[in-house]
Amino acid sequence: MSGKSVRIAHLYPELLNLYGDSGNIITLAKRLEWRGLTPKIAEVSIDDTPSFKEVDLVFIGGGSDREQRIVCEKLLAQKAELAAYVADGGVLLAVCGGYQLLGHSYLMGDEKVEGLGLVDLYTDRGNPRLIGNIAIQSDLSPQPIVGYENHGGRTHLGAGVRPLGKVLFGHGNDGTTGYEGCWQDNVVGTYIHGPLLPKNPGVADALLSAALERRYGDGALEPLDDTVELAANQVMVDRLLSGEEKE
Amino acid sequence: MTLRASLALGAGKLARWGLVSVLHRNASQLPGRIALALDPELLSELASHVEGSIVVCGTNGKTTTNNVLASAIEASGQTVMCNRAGANMAPGVTAALMTKPSANWAVIEADELSTIKILPALKPRYLVLLNLFRDQLDRAGEIDRVQDIIAQALDASPETTLVVCGDDPLSMGVALRLAGNNPIISFGIDEALGLPPDRVPEARFCQVCGAELGYVFRHYAQLGNFACPNGDFARPQLDWRATHVKVERTGVSFDAAGPHKLTAKKPAAPQLETPQWPVHLKASFGGVYMVYNLLAAFIGATLAGVSPEQFQDTLDHYHPENGRLQRFDVDGREVVLNLAKNPTGFNQNISLMLADDRPKAAFFVVNDDYNDGKDISWIWDVDFERLSQEDDLTLAVGGHRANDLQVRMKYAGMDAPLCTDVKGALDHIASLPKDRPLYVLTNYSALWPAKAELEKIGESHER
Repeated sequence: MSGKSVRIAHLYPELLNLYGDSGNIITLAKRLEWRGLTPKIAEVSIDDTPSFKEVDLVFIGGGSDREQRIVCEKLLAQKAELAAYVADGGVLLAVCGGYQLLGHSYLMGDEKVEGLGLVDLYTDRGNPRLIGNIAIQSDLSPQPIVGYENHGGRTHLGAGVRPLGKVLFGHGNDGTTGYEGCWQDNVVGTYIHGPLLPKNPGVADALLSAALERRYGDGALEPLDDTVELAANQVMVDRLLSGEEKE
Repeated sequence: MTLRASLALGAGKLARWGLVSVLHRNASQLPGRIALALDPELLSELASHVEGSIVVCGTNGKTTTNNVLASAIEASGQTVMCNRAGANMAPGVTAALMTKPSANWAVIEADELSTIKILPALKPRYLVLLNLFRDQLDRAGEIDRVQDIIAQALDASPETTLVVCGDDPLSMGVALRLAGNNPIISFGIDEALGLPPDRVPEARFCQVCGAELGYVFRHYAQLGNFACPNGDFARPQLDWRATHVKVERTGVSFDAAGPHKLTAKKPAAPQLETPQWPVHLKASFGGVYMVYNLLAAFIGATLAGVSPEQFQDTLDHYHPENGRLQRFDVDGREVVLNLAKNPTGFNQNISLMLADDRPKAAFFVVNDDYNDGKDISWIWDVDFERLSQEDDLTLAVGGHRANDLQVRMKYAGMDAPLCTDVKGALDHIASLPKDRPLYVLTNYSALWPAKAELEKIGESHER
């Protein structure tokens, strides 16, 4: 036991829990435990005022429009602290609705709602909803990242923002550019759930490594036997890229 | 009947004859689909061939509830048309109503989203709303939308009485949305059950102000005696109550009590005799969720003129044949087959497994066909971690998404090899003693193949 720990803040799980997002937290926790590291998970409730000073990894998931609105108002009050955390290299994973919150604004119905402005992007809407299995190629993961997307929002990245990856199958940010998600410093935003991390262990480890690097100056991770995870990843990659699955 | 309706009905019946007699196939949907395509008004036309109808909807339990209700009404000597196989969208309902020229009752299971088509056409006397859980987000969308649709369906059929689970804040959320015309009857379990607590429910927020609901007691998921801390919303005074509830591995029993005096819905209907409350009911199947299903079926049956004795007699002779908690014997090993298609359903199945104190094996199967929902992220919302408390549990996983289940089991601390079918799972546990049962839990499209396989290799056994 090295005695090292990773402090994970799961923001508002009681509101943002639409797509099996707890699976992301389970995955982070188990992949730490299996290496003799300690996960310290704080479920931040909407009545709490989170502090990002003693946090190594922040996760924010997706919820319904109404719930996302409540969360956005709450987080806007914390905008400066969250921005300082990100500027300091803090690791942040945002999925679905959480991803949209990262930008300058998003649309709720026809109303433009101010976002956190952590990444130069904004989200408007389009028809139809973009729904289905998705695979992307990303430098964050040795394997294609696979999962499921279900969003009415169309997210547009600013000129200098790196997408998380290139769409191999599915729709991605806006269904037209061929890119999915964003990846800036240690902030990753994506529409991919499923949940994201269990079948994409490369992404999980990249986030954990970045968190350990920032906290201890050493992000090295012992390798794990990922046979089961990678088999599940491969099955879906094969299905999507063989033409068996229709878009 | 209009000429158009009569032509449509003829075409639909011809399709039924072809399917059943020539192709030997189940005719649960296609005849309705053909007939509906020829005359969209046909459902209203067919509705006039029954004296009254009862529609059952809710995320979990509607097929069992609907079938028990239909059997009970038949046991009272009345005639029934019913979509027993669970084809619960408009074509399936149309097909069910084409099976006889006329009947006393139509007893119809309806998919939640299809209520908007079915209710305005059928104008049922009662809509039974069992529960609402998160299910098939890719198809149904968020629960808010499902609630809106059921409420719109009821608004379009204002004389329909809503028979609603008062213990469920989400079902009561439908009642809240109504314009106010539909009469409402509520039911629930009116005592703490002292069950081991399950995962904290996701849907535990006030439907009016969004505050976290408090519970005097909670049975499972979000069902229980709830109240908003701000006084905006609470479980209603229950019209029909279950008490003295016993939930055991061998089945459930409870006392049911309704209003002091029952009144018939229509003046023309025969007057209802109010039973001597409470009525003791028992069934040799199911867990706590079955108490809700049976109480709901009992309410529907009683309001349709079924006596408590006839209802209990129906339960005594009711043997699930639709893969819902159906038991088989395969070469001396008990195999229990059940549907588990969303987190709440799966969690209830896990509770049933934990209540069975024998060492056991389980085979979980998840497909992702359109009818199942293509998004299976919900398997991470199932509390599989509870199973790791079992000392001696052997697992296997299958279905189109077997690999995803295998990952899920790994992160819950359990090994689970992939098996292609029930036979494969039985082979996997062949070396285990025969007195260890195998639980086969599957989602929607995986259920029928598993059932067909078990009917072939085993014997359905009655207990």
